[in-house]
Amino acid sequence: MPRFARSLILGLLSGTLAGLYFGWFPFPPNARSSAISDLAQRYRDEYTVMIAAGYAADRDAPGALERLSLLELESIPAYLQRSAERIISTSARDLDDIRLLVSLARDLGLMSPAMQPFLTLQGADS
Amino acid sequence: MTLRDQLTGATGERAPGYFSYAVFAFSLIAGIALGLALTRVHGPLQRGNAEPWQLRAEDGQHYMIAIALEYAYKGDLPAALNKLIAMRPAQDPLDALAEAACALGSGGYLRSESGIQAIRSAEALYSSQGRAGCAEQLLPQEASISAPALATDIAPNAGFATPLPTKPPLPDSGADAAIRRLAPSPTPQRSFEARSARSFCDAANPALIEARVVDYLGRGIPGQRIRVRWADQEDVFVSGLKVDRGDAYADFQMDEGIDYTIDMPDAAEPLGASLSTGACYTGNRRALKSWRVTFVET
Repeated sequence: MPRFARSLILGLLSGTLAGLYFGWFPFPPNARSSAISDLAQRYRDEYTVMIAAGYAADRDAPGALERLSLLELESIPAYLQRSAERIISTSARDLDDIRLLVSLARDLGLMSPAMQPFLTLQGADS
Repeated sequence: MTLRDQLTGATGERAPGYFSYAVFAFSLIAGIALGLALTRVHGPLQRGNAEPWQLRAEDGQHYMIAIALEYAYKGDLPAALNKLIAMRPAQDPLDALAEAACALGSGGYLRSESGIQAIRSAEALYSSQGRAGCAEQLLPQEASISAPALATDIAPNAGFATPLPTKPPLPDSGADAAIRRLAPSPTPQRSFEARSARSFCDAANPALIEARVVDYLGRGIPGQRIRVRWADQEDVFVSGLKVDRGDAYADFQMDEGIDYTIDMPDAAEPLGASLSTGACYTGNRRALKSWRVTFVET
């Protein structure tokens, strides 16, 4: 009897863990239930850049802040600064996107040594 | 005693092992099924790992608006289309954008100048590709919110380095009056003509008048009123309210033994013939006859 129970419990435990892993990671359910704040980092960056591009088009800072608030951030300025510096250091986005982020950050009153060169680049263009 | 004797026992029977592989295999399979079922019931563990197509409806709409905003700046249509396609919409991606703009516009998004500009960006994107939605009718003719009213939405310590654009205050306007009430702006009266009325037999949709309102290119026009009259009664229904059936669609349930006339109030003359339902057969099944009526903009 202990042999049966031992095998049963071990099998159920391993199987459930394997099922949870496969069901959540490689084969997640086809559910549309996520919030923008749940996006993977790559798409959060993409969303942020899109908002920054929108800001470059309409200069609508309140709108940009409102849209970034969907990311459920503790501090939008701090997030922008962190994102811009991370993207700059990892070259995760192209130059135009970085300039858009830096431009938005600057207009929100943020600037850091890492961002400064991109602002200069922008100034040279404009 | 040899090793074989130790394994089989003195009587020759195999001693029970520490582990039953058969029970383990069975319970492993059951466990995997249980684990998978749990993920299906409780949803994906995708916090911080979701892709845009996994966004819930409202967040997906905001994401689409962001795509339109980026398009407004970059003008990169292929990139915008690729991002819309990555949302895996159930229909044409630009139609999905039009629907998103319509849904957000109907839901209070247009109360701010930011929202108006965003919806305008979306409208510019989908209308440039020949699509239409209800957002055009919801948008005011021109932006009319003063900058000071906007500035109150911003945290006072946001520290903007660039001043916000300013406009002189509107004459005779208090704080409330500065915000324009966003009732749908008056649109030019459109005229339509009932071009076709065909009966069909569908057991799943019996005794239905399916009306479609389209422009001269066959594109659906939402928000158009269609009137059905019978005896001394009438009912009005509106195109585009059943989102899954498209902008053009509206329907009305008929009763047997009644003749209905259909028109569009102040927009289209009544259809020449009255419509009624009666028995029809599809396959070997009895159903009630339905009608498809198309109003085309003239």
